[in-house]
Amino acid sequence: MSVIASLENGGRDSKVKRRGKIQWSAYGYISPAILTMSVLSFLPMFFTIYISFTNWSQMHFMNYQFVGWKNYVELFSKNNPLSIAFLPTLIWTLVFTFVSTTLNYFVGLILAILVNDKALTEARLYRTLLIIPWAIPALISTLSWQGLLNQNYGPINAFLHLLHIPAIPWLVAPGWAKASVILVNLWLSFPYFMTVSLGALQSIPTEQYDSAAIDGTSAFQRFAYITFPNVWRVSLPLLIPAYAATFNNFNIIFLLTGGGPARASTQFAGYTDILASSSYKIALQFNRYDLSATLSVVLFVMIGVISLINMRFTNAFKGED
Amino acid sequence: MKQGAVNLRPHDRARAWVIRIILWVILVVTLAPLLYVVSASFSSTDALSSASLIPLHATLANYVNVFSSGFLRWAWNSTEVALVVSAAQLLITSTAAYAYSRLHFLGRKYGLMVLLLLQMFPNSMAVAAIYAVLAQWGLLDRLWMYMLLLIGGSAFNIWLMKGFYDTIPIELDEAARVDGAGHFRILMSVILPLARPMLAVVFFLSMIGYYSEYILAGTVLQSPSNYTLGLGMYNLINTQFAQNWGLFSAASLLSAIPLAVAFGFLNPLMARGLTAGATKG
Repeated sequence: MSVIASLENGGRDSKVKRRGKIQWSAYGYISPAILTMSVLSFLPMFFTIYISFTNWSQMHFMNYQFVGWKNYVELFSKNNPLSIAFLPTLIWTLVFTFVSTTLNYFVGLILAILVNDKALTEARLYRTLLIIPWAIPALISTLSWQGLLNQNYGPINAFLHLLHIPAIPWLVAPGWAKASVILVNLWLSFPYFMTVSLGALQSIPTEQYDSAAIDGTSAFQRFAYITFPNVWRVSLPLLIPAYAATFNNFNIIFLLTGGGPARASTQFAGYTDILASSSYKIALQFNRYDLSATLSVVLFVMIGVISLINMRFTNAFKGED
Repeated sequence: MKQGAVNLRPHDRARAWVIRIILWVILVVTLAPLLYVVSASFSSTDALSSASLIPLHATLANYVNVFSSGFLRWAWNSTEVALVVSAAQLLITSTAAYAYSRLHFLGRKYGLMVLLLLQMFPNSMAVAAIYAVLAQWGLLDRLWMYMLLLIGGSAFNIWLMKGFYDTIPIELDEAARVDGAGHFRILMSVILPLARPMLAVVFFLSMIGYYSEYILAGTVLQSPSNYTLGLGMYNLINTQFAQNWGLFSAASLLSAIPLAVAFGFLNPLMARGLTAGATKG
């Protein structure tokens, strides 16, 4: 509680600061960040845009040429292997991002509400145990899941066999592979959202509940008018980066299914490939830097538009002066 | 919480039991897969795909074999990368956050937003450019190149850190200024000591993140002696799964447990740190 109180003070104080005068030393403090980001993040980004207008690939490694919009035309023309891969991959990327992040958030929130219940005396124990998936490096647990879900040798199917359920093609049938990706991502991410929601729940002033109780409200009303709005306000700024992170969650796709199962119609993207993993495969497995860069630029424009709308909409990252 | 238990009403107690049962089911579903990994790490390869949680022929062979599989090399590479990059990041973010929290300058208002926006395009999107350029310059397969590339992404941490700096009362700065301290002194002897928990959080979160980094590692690193944990383990499980599952499980546990323990200690801090930046209206 005191943290939140001091937060609000801090926020107000920083607005009263002297205005107008530019403190030049500020540039000294931000320059290491700006410099490293420009050289190591933004420069490769601009170079990606450049490559997307060339035919740079394994075949034209030393003598690539400028080809104008050719790659973009290919991306949107019919019967091209890249364009066949693009639309289904885009749709799956959006579905995965929305379904997975939303599911993770709500499961985390519900669990937070459950373990925050005053009547639950051993709540601390559950909190600790439920956080375990977050504590294991995601890369290792994702790879472990790949083993656990193996159709022929995996222990999950062996367990189902005990219950007389036939082996489920977790990672090899398109529909099951998509479900597996979402479920494993839920396993990986709910502790984070639970922790964040728990922090938000505990910051709600108890007076709000006391006065609501005096007014004779129902449990549902208290949730809808006090709990949820408060938690929402605190967790929203974290939810937006979470959507962006899922959109680009290369690791879960590449390490769990490798993007597979493969499509018969195109080699550039499997059924669970998202745009980020497809772009990686095109660059490193097929050595088509030009096509990979084109895909990245399209992705890039989309994320930009979505995040800009998001930021405007929520004011989450609004800088104050 | 203990005092609350004394005067629980009957319907509170009933609700607690409903919650308890739901949580037990969730806990079993969540943690049983982990127990399978533990069990596999103690099983001999012929006891594969057993549904039992207790290994049939318990053996330490997998743990012995781990040490001849290159695992130590990968673990060391990952640790080195995580430590160096996180330390560099800490230096960069703690100073930049000071400017965004305390100083007035042109570009302050939208600067951080623009950086965050640009950083929404992760390095993974530039894989083609990074690979092609490094290949042309003959800089592939260098561990230092990999570290350098990772240092580039710090906007989110700056934002987290700025959120925390904003919670430090500005009166403290002013008091220090009256005593004749400049910005550097204020940062070093007022802000940073108070932000120590947050520094630990940022350091640790980045370390965990770099342990799990795969995409740039896969782009830059090629020879097994330069593999990070991720690359090594990926190859382990994707070549001859049936034979390596036990070995893989042992390696997973050996690499995950130290981090998980450290995580346990830092978690209360993290929960506070993450929401601190966010609660600001």
